[in-house]
Amino acid sequence: MDVYVMGVAIHPAADAIRDRRLEEMAYSTARAALDDAGVQRKDIDHVTLAGSDEIDARGISSMLLAAPSGAYLKDEMRVADSGLTGLQLGAMRAGAGDLQLGLVVSWNQSSLGPLEDIARMRAEPFYLRPVGLNFAIADGLFANAMAQHRGVTEAAVAERVRMRLAAAAANPRAIRRAVPGAADIAGSPLISYPLRAGHRAPVTDGAVAMVLASGAWVRAHPDKRPLARIAGIESAIDRYQLNGERLSGLKIFEDTLQAVLKRAGLGSVDELDVIELDAQNAWADVALVDSMKAGNSVAISPSGGAWAQNPYFCNGLLNAAEVVLQVSGRAGTHQVPGAGRALAHGTSGFAQQMHSFVAMEGIGS
Amino acid sequence: MTQHHNVAVIGVGQTAFRSRYDEKTYPELAQDAVALALADANLQPEQVDAVVFSMAPTTFMGVADADKWAVDYTWARGKPFMRVHTGGATGGSALQAAHAHVASGQYGTVLVVGADRITETPDAQFVLNLIWDPFYEQDFALNTVTMTALATQRYMHKYATTEEQYANVVVRARRNALNNPSAHLKGAIDIDAVMASQRISWPYKLFDICPRSAGAAAVVVTNETLARERCTRPAFITGTSGVSNTVFMGDRMSPSADTDFADFSELKIAARECYRQAGITDPMREVQTVEIYDPFSSFQFPQLESLGFCASGTAQRLSDEGAFDMNGQVAVNPSGGTLCTNPIGVTGLVRAAEAARQVMNRAGAMQVPGVHNAIATAIGGSTQFFTVTMLSDEPRRAATSA
Repeated sequence: MDVYVMGVAIHPAADAIRDRRLEEMAYSTARAALDDAGVQRKDIDHVTLAGSDEIDARGISSMLLAAPSGAYLKDEMRVADSGLTGLQLGAMRAGAGDLQLGLVVSWNQSSLGPLEDIARMRAEPFYLRPVGLNFAIADGLFANAMAQHRGVTEAAVAERVRMRLAAAAANPRAIRRAVPGAADIAGSPLISYPLRAGHRAPVTDGAVAMVLASGAWVRAHPDKRPLARIAGIESAIDRYQLNGERLSGLKIFEDTLQAVLKRAGLGSVDELDVIELDAQNAWADVALVDSMKAGNSVAISPSGGAWAQNPYFCNGLLNAAEVVLQVSGRAGTHQVPGAGRALAHGTSGFAQQMHSFVAMEGIGS
Repeated sequence: MTQHHNVAVIGVGQTAFRSRYDEKTYPELAQDAVALALADANLQPEQVDAVVFSMAPTTFMGVADADKWAVDYTWARGKPFMRVHTGGATGGSALQAAHAHVASGQYGTVLVVGADRITETPDAQFVLNLIWDPFYEQDFALNTVTMTALATQRYMHKYATTEEQYANVVVRARRNALNNPSAHLKGAIDIDAVMASQRISWPYKLFDICPRSAGAAAVVVTNETLARERCTRPAFITGTSGVSNTVFMGDRMSPSADTDFADFSELKIAARECYRQAGITDPMREVQTVEIYDPFSSFQFPQLESLGFCASGTAQRLSDEGAFDMNGQVAVNPSGGTLCTNPIGVTGLVRAAEAARQVMNRAGAMQVPGVHNAIATAIGGSTQFFTVTMLSDEPRRAATSA
């Protein structure tokens, strides 16, 4: 795509942000992204938001969040799937010819509302809601399918948790957490067989913003240096039914991965330097990593992934911000040396019904 | 050079709209609209590359992931999928999001679909009270009726508009809707009937207010090459724009405010950009029909003025004179508009679908002769989200590529 990332901002992470309203989080993050890009709000012509009414506990979330996110008297629209979907729409808007410089903003303050209650209201009312479906149960069904059909073991899952937490310890933007022993993870409460509490990434509060520019804008402003080019976007959604095929197969994930690589002009996943995965639990992390069949040269979730911070709704956009920082050499202590091509992944829906990818390329790569 | 692909509507579908659809689930309703749109576009589901779902607050129906529930029913499995939500403007924004999918060159053919079932909740206006800020405005007994009644009072104060002039808008809408097989409310009524209907919130009477509708709509958009292959007269999307304002109404009526709550002056900003893209300089001469978002009888005058069809404060006189009738200077809402049908999550999409049908010469008994350009608007939030979309019989500029 002829679309570039000019600036990024990640709100400081916390398990619960209680001293700021969501509107204040969105404002400060959007403001920081504009500063990072070296542009002002008056310079932008559009804003793309990603937010969930239910998680935000607001009847129409963007009524309150649009203006603080920079959209006052701007061309704004919102998606309600995930932060990474917002980036995808933002990229298409900036690439469509009429809009030149825009913000993408997403947020999550789910510490104020129980996610599992929201999950129950997401389920259709005839079959799934009466059985009490929520995220934990959907993830447990997925984990069991991975164990039975793909041979994922609880030991491998525990090791993955430890690995991610160890990586997060080197990430300056991560919440500090101790790395538990394998026995502690194995002894953690059983949530939904075989998913244990210790297998899940703790959900955190946070916000992410990004400034996007069309190629035309970049060429007209040679004094502004892009951080990355959006090399490709792809996404696909799977069926709603949590049947055996849906739970045990990763076809949508695998097909969409290949599609985004093609969009980015890459022949294989091994041509990437970094992948930041959106895995809400280590069963998903192990299964998705295995299915990618990436070689050792690809750093997968060097940030620590969702175990570094996990602002549930905008975790995919956080991954995109992390890979922009990687390909622009600004990731910090977990910088992957020479990272030039990177992939951000995001999910939404029960048991990863939708997979989204954004491929980023460093300038000069 | 940044890519720009011309984009056109080649098929639309909508169910009949009515109070309830007890015999169908939400995804079944959405599926009905998709089947109609695909048939209208002469396409099979596998020829759709991506799906944009148009769904506003889910609280009316009580299923927060209704869009994802509808994936299998709308043949979206394995495809890119996103849900757009900008309150009442959702359908307008969803169509513009689909336009970006195609104009950017990312996808060739995109389906926009949505459904709504407002009457699933016993009191939609209680739900709508919850959209406001809980600290400043929620306790102020606000809902969409009382909120827009305040704006209407301000407009009446500025321009000496009468209740009868609003009633005349209702009479025209219900009369136009007689030609629309999908309309929820329709009929030959007179101004006295509107004036005699139950008082709800001054100056609104019951007939000044839209119904709560259930139903679904879908639109197929594609690039110029495919459009010319598949459709004898596509409706090209030649202008797309939107403007968002602050939620706070008080900030839109002070002497130093950037916009005026009564005038919907945000639409002036959006229309200017839309007209720039479409090459429109004199809308009254160049645009033959509009499908504007009018859930209340007072929504037509400020929109027509901000869209540049007439000067501020003059739309009421032109309306009285018949300028906005089917055979007037510009045919306003030949479908009957939102006053006759309001399934909130897809209302903006219905506006665009009806405008496209006018350009495609497929509007049946609603058809306005010789339509070259048609405008669709949508409005959402605390009348703070605005979209303007231009549908035209030909693209107004050449496509460009990188």
